[in-house]
Parts: sequence; C-alpha cells; structure tokens
Amino acid sequence: MAGATETRLISRDTSGVDAIAAVTIGLSALLFALSLAALFEIITISDPVAGIPIVTLLGGILVLLGGVVIGFGIGSYVGVVETQPSSSAGLVASATFSLVWFALGGIMAQVIGVGGITWLPIALIIGGAAFAVTAVLREDIGSTLPAGAVTLFIGVVYLTGTIGPAWIWELSWEQQASLTAEFVIPVGTLFCALLTGWAAAKTYGGFGARGRRMGAYLLIYLNASSIVGVLFILIAFTTLKGVPGLFTGATVGLGVGPTVFGVTLPISLPFVMNGASLFNEFQGVLPAIVGTIWLVIGAVLFAVPLGVGAAVFLTEYAERGRFTQVVEVATNGLWSTPSIVFGLFGFAFLVPRFGGNKSLISGMLTLGFMLLPLVLITSREAILAVPDEYRDASAALGVSKWQTIRSVVVPAALPGVVTGVILGVGRIAGETAPILLTMTGGTFVPGGQTADVIGGFQFTATPPFVANPELLQATTALPFQLYALITAGVGLGDTVSSPEQFQWATAFVLLFIVLSFYAVGIGARYYFRRKLQHE
Amino acid sequence: MSETTYTTTEDTDDTNSTDSMVGTTTGETDEYVREEWREYSFDVPTKLGVDDLDVYYGDDQALEGVSMEIPEKSVTALIGPSGCGKSTFLRCLNRMNDRVSSARIDGSVTLDSQEIYQDGVNLVELRKRVGMVFQSPNPFPKSIRENIAYGPEKHGDIDTGVLARLLGRSDEEQREELVERCLRDAALWDEVHDRLDDNALGLSGGQQQRLCIARCLSVDPEVILMDEPASALDPIATAKIEDLIAELSKEYTVVIVTHNMQQAARISEQTAVFLTGGELVEYGDTDQVFENPQSERVEDYITGKFG
Repeated sequence: MAGATETRLISRDTSGVDAIAAVTIGLSALLFALSLAALFEIITISDPVAGIPIVTLLGGILVLLGGVVIGFGIGSYVGVVETQPSSSAGLVASATFSLVWFALGGIMAQVIGVGGITWLPIALIIGGAAFAVTAVLREDIGSTLPAGAVTLFIGVVYLTGTIGPAWIWELSWEQQASLTAEFVIPVGTLFCALLTGWAAAKTYGGFGARGRRMGAYLLIYLNASSIVGVLFILIAFTTLKGVPGLFTGATVGLGVGPTVFGVTLPISLPFVMNGASLFNEFQGVLPAIVGTIWLVIGAVLFAVPLGVGAAVFLTEYAERGRFTQVVEVATNGLWSTPSIVFGLFGFAFLVPRFGGNKSLISGMLTLGFMLLPLVLITSREAILAVPDEYRDASAALGVSKWQTIRSVVVPAALPGVVTGVILGVGRIAGETAPILLTMTGGTFVPGGQTADVIGGFQFTATPPFVANPELLQATTALPFQLYALITAGVGLGDTVSSPEQFQWATAFVLLFIVLSFYAVGIGARYYFRRKLQHE
Repeated sequence: MSETTYTTTEDTDDTNSTDSMVGTTTGETDEYVREEWREYSFDVPTKLGVDDLDVYYGDDQALEGVSMEIPEKSVTALIGPSGCGKSTFLRCLNRMNDRVSSARIDGSVTLDSQEIYQDGVNLVELRKRVGMVFQSPNPFPKSIRENIAYGPEKHGDIDTGVLARLLGRSDEEQREELVERCLRDAALWDEVHDRLDDNALGLSGGQQQRLCIARCLSVDPEVILMDEPASALDPIATAKIEDLIAELSKEYTVVIVTHNMQQAARISEQTAVFLTGGELVEYGDTDQVFENPQSERVEDYITGKFG
C-alpha cells in the first residue's frame, strides 16, 4: 500500500511505469483512430497487414491493452506501482461499468443459448458484480479491473474468430435488421480503446484527483479530435468519391476550353463547363452551378439590406417595449420555421406574381425570406454590442444620429453582421425544398439555358422599362439536382455513363461552392475586424 | 445633529448647513448659501450662465436648484463626492442629458447669454460650440486621422469623399492642416505624426485621451467640458493632461469634473463644490474655496472628514 495515503508536494520522477502507461495511452489513441477509420470503411477489417488479418491484429492489441491495464491496477494495489488512489472510483464509473457488464452478460447468455428470460438474471448478476467491484474496492482496482476485463474479453473474442470478418448477427426483429462485423468490430474496438485509454490515463496520473483529471482530459481530447476527425472524413469522403466524376473527360491544352469573356480557357472540364445535351460526349452541371450562385447572390442582396436596416431600427430608433419584443419573438420563430413552409409561401405567393411559372427570382426571394431572420438576429446582437461610448463621442461632436449610425455604429458591427450572413448562406445554399417548389424546372438543363442574369437585362418602352426574362425562367440548382438524381432517379441510364460518379461529383461541387462562400465570408470578416482593431 | 432651525438668513451661520438636508427649512438655507456665491464676481465676461437648474432621472432628483456663472477662458473645476450630480450638471451644459430618455430638466442654461433650453436650439451648433471629453478615452475604431477629421467631415466643413476627389474639390490639404493643428494643440503631434493612418485603439490610454481632446478641438469649440478626463490614467499621463488643460484655458473655457481635489486645486481658477443631494454648496475662487471655505460641510469634505 505504499504511497496510498501519502500526499506529496513534489511529484514523482518519471518512472518505468509512467512510460508504460504513456505507451498504453498512445496505443489506445491509435486504436481509437484505427477503429474510426474502419467504421468509415477507409480501411477494411478483413484486409491483411503483413499476413495477419486486421481483425486479428485488433484483437491482439486489445488483449495486450487489457492485460496491461489489469496489471496496473493489481500492481498499484499490492504497492509495486506508486500511486495515491482514492477509496472508490466513484458512482459514475460504477454505473458505467455495471451497464457495460450488464449488456455484455446479457449478450453472452443469449449466445450460449439459455432459454426464455433466464438471460436477465445472469446479466443482472454480472452487472451487479461489476458495480460492486468498481464501487466498493479501492480506486486503483475499481477503475482498471472492469475496464481491462472488458477489453481482454473482446480482444479474445476477436482473436479466436468468434466474431470474424464474416460474422453477422441476425436480429430477429420485425425489420429483419442485422449487425455485420464491419460495424460491430470497429464499434467494439472504439469503445475498448476509450476504456483502456481512460484507465491508463488514470494510472499515469497516479489515480486520486490528478488521475481523475488525466482521465477526463483524455476523454475530452479523444472526443474533440473525433469530432474534428469526422468533419474531415466527411469532406475527404465526398472529395474522394466526387473527384473522379469531376474530372471525367477533362483535357488540358491550348484552346480546348470554352470561351469566357473572349478568352479561351486552356482547360476543359466538361462536368462543370457543360450543360446537358444529347450531343454531349460528357454531361455537366453548369446550369445548376450558375443557378446556385445566382440564388445565393439574389437572396443575400435581398436579405442583407432589409435585415440590417430592421436591426438598426429595432436597436437605435424603436423604444424598447412590447413592439420590439413581439418582433424579436417573431424573428426567432421565423428562423426555426421549416424550409418547406417558406417554399409553400413562395409557391403560393411569389410564383403567381412573377408570371405564374417557377422562376429564378421566386427562388431568390424565397431564400431571401429564409435568410432575413438570421441576418436580423445577428445584426441586432452585433449592433447592441457596439459600445455606447462611440455613440456618446459622436453626439458630443454634434454629429446627427443617422450619421453616427452610418459612420460609426454599423462599421463597428460589420464583423458580426458578416458572421450572420455566412451562417445563413451555408443554410440556404443547401436548401432543396423551397427551390423545388419555386424555382426548378428540369434536372438536366441544357448548357444553352444557363441563367445569364447580367446579360438578360433589357430595356422596354413600357413601364417598368426594364425586363429580365432570365430571372423569370425556371432553372436548376445543385441541391435540387442532387435530390432528383438520387431520390427520383432522374437522368440515369442513357445520358450519363456512370450515374454514381455523376451524383458524387455533384455533391462534391455543392460542398465546394458552399465552402467557397464560407471562405469569402470569413475573409470579409477578417478584413473588417482588422480594420477595427489596431495592428 | 442639532435641531437648530433658522428663521432669518442674516443671522444664520452656514456652519449649520450640514443640517439643511434634514431640516425643515432647507430652502431658506440654500437660498442663503446661494446668495453667498451669487455675489462671486470675476473680471472677464460670463460664458455659461446656469440658473435654478433641476434635473430628475425618473423620480430621483439629481440636481437641485443649481445656479452659477462660469467665466470665459478659464478653468472651472467641479468637485464633490460620487453621485452628487456633478457629471449630470456637466452633461446639462451641452444637452447630452437629452440622450437619456428618463431625464427631465428644469431651469435655464445660457451660452453667451443665449438660452440653450428653448425650442429651436440647434443641437449640432450647440455641441460644436460646447465640446466634451469623457471619463474613459473613447476614440472611434478608426485611424488617428479619421478620428480627428470625423466631426468636420460629418458637418460638411471638409469633404474628402470619393466624389469630391473625382471632381477635384477634395479638401485634403485642409484636412491635413486641421489634423496637425488639433494634434499639436492637444500635445500629441510629436508622438503620432508618423503614424496617422494607424488605428487609434493602438495608442496608450493617455495618448487616447489626448486624441479625444484633439478630436473635440477639431470642431472649433468655445467651451470644453471634461468629465474626469484623467481618472483612468497613470500619474505621468495625468500630468500631461493637466498641462494641456492649462494650455487650453488660454483659448477655451474649460469646465472639468474631478474626484481629485489636488488636481482641482492645481489647475482651476474657480471651484464649485457639489455635495450629496445634487446641490451646489460653494462656488468661488479656487484658493478661497480650498483655504477658507465658507461652508462647514465643504470644509469637512475638503479636509476629508466627509464624503
């Protein structure tokens, strides 16, 4: 029991045990990453590495980790390893382990084949035992033994091939769902990696308060990194799947590309430069890309002036009272309104007023209405955050309120406004439902029908003297195109050689465009912030 | 507390005025004190005249019947404990209290004998003539140059906009002259003349405060109101501000609120003492107020027994 009750001012030197614990933590983290990769099918569990199947390898590492963790606990208990454990691992750990062992016990009982409801008492007994071990025994045993035993057990199951790559568990439920090894093995490994990593981190900290802190750090770091990891996997996944379709038929060379503003591009990328046509060798989504970009520009042009103006009125001019409260509640409510409702509004209200057909401008305005509440909310917050000292200083110079708002308040609030617009654009650029009802005509729009909003303006002899047939035409947009391609199965077969590649490439382009809007927004915010701050 | 009551103003010693807050004849005592300094005379013309000024925030009375006359081209210090209404008084002089929706103001304030609390007063013009410097430095998050030129540009005195530049009417030279003059007057030019395009928030606190004074000078005021301009600054920056105030009082009428009695004694020609309840208790030459105060309450306050 050496060191069990000692408290020291100077922490111990790094010992061999610490080194082993550190290696264990590292191995657990590696296993965590590996199982994530396997879960997203970046690596396949049946593939061999140096002649050994990955599943066997995973099992081996689990057995090793489980053994080491149990070794830590017993070593600490008998006093070989110097630690300062508390008297118990605590209620949360006890409850967690009893739940884990309850589930494990129940599954084991079912696999062995006890009949009827007999599995329940068995599971209860095992779960209760785990609770007792964790709660009653000292912390070093309580937090290592159950964790190590789970890991050891699962490792043995993988090693012996009881659960191998070909394993499948038919759940005898109505839906005939089944769990495959591709899912179960990574999830089990992930879980065990968390457990052993946590236990090893506690050992590294010498249990007690410091050990708990170490354990919590490990869990937090693994969680945070897995969230970031999932984000990157998502982007990488779409990119990997989408890029082959994107570069179908791509050629590089002088004069092969389309002519833009009188310059012939030296690169031809049919997927993003073509529309659809019977005569095309490769089909493309140019009209959808252009449609999406115009949609976002139109919605932003509509919503930002209105939203910022309303925010200025609400914060600077309107007396705070019932009226502003009602507006606030209404705005928040509008922001959480389902997008299909906005779509229906556009369909019932805007479409009949713009020629009776679905049109680009109806889509723009519908999305603009969706964007408006968020711009209003964030602008209001940003304007309220501008210090009153600026307003006082300006008023003391005799500058009028409106001038003050224009030259001091709004510029100081711009970074916040831009943040709101960025968030909103991310949402509306990917909206499918509203544009389905208000804007989109066909899925495969010929390249010749790409919306040319700038070139579409015409002057007319009668009021309103300016017309733009392009705005009044139905067109398409990426999210809608994706929806139609996948759900409705439109366009498969004759026109596209590889439908799946085409779909993934569309998804990739959509992701790319949304992220580009983000990049522009973040750049703008950075610029405005720099202007406001010194250096 | 003595239960002394007063029947006449003549035979009442104002040493008892401590009781005026609880006494039943408060009004009379106040009248008496007020007569004292109403006779306060100075040789130069009056710049600001205040007569029977009452200020209420909602139901709370912040100032009670304040009357005083402030001479031209001098430094007048307003001292008193926290919450005695000296900042409120200062903010009445350029009608900044109009910006507080709950404030109600009764009484009269004249600038060069013109009433500023009457219909048809041009607030832009008033605030151009009566500038203000605040307690904490509050430069705009813009460049030093833009900070100085802000007022004149918004008033249309200087136009360096895109259109003016395109039409060849840009007043860039005037702007540069103005920026240099204001910064020189605020004793800041030497420190910042090579970085006029830097953001003003990058300056130190003392420099920011002098920039605010320079910004105030840019609209050519006649009166400068200062609300504890040095309270957020270290002693060296404070000394610079004090020197600057002495310099400014040659050209401008300066009214300064301060918590620091030594500061008031150092820089001001007149001192007005406000005490709790928002009343003006004593007003006179600084030397006289500090060395031979008429009121015992003021003496207690100045010697640190009260407030």
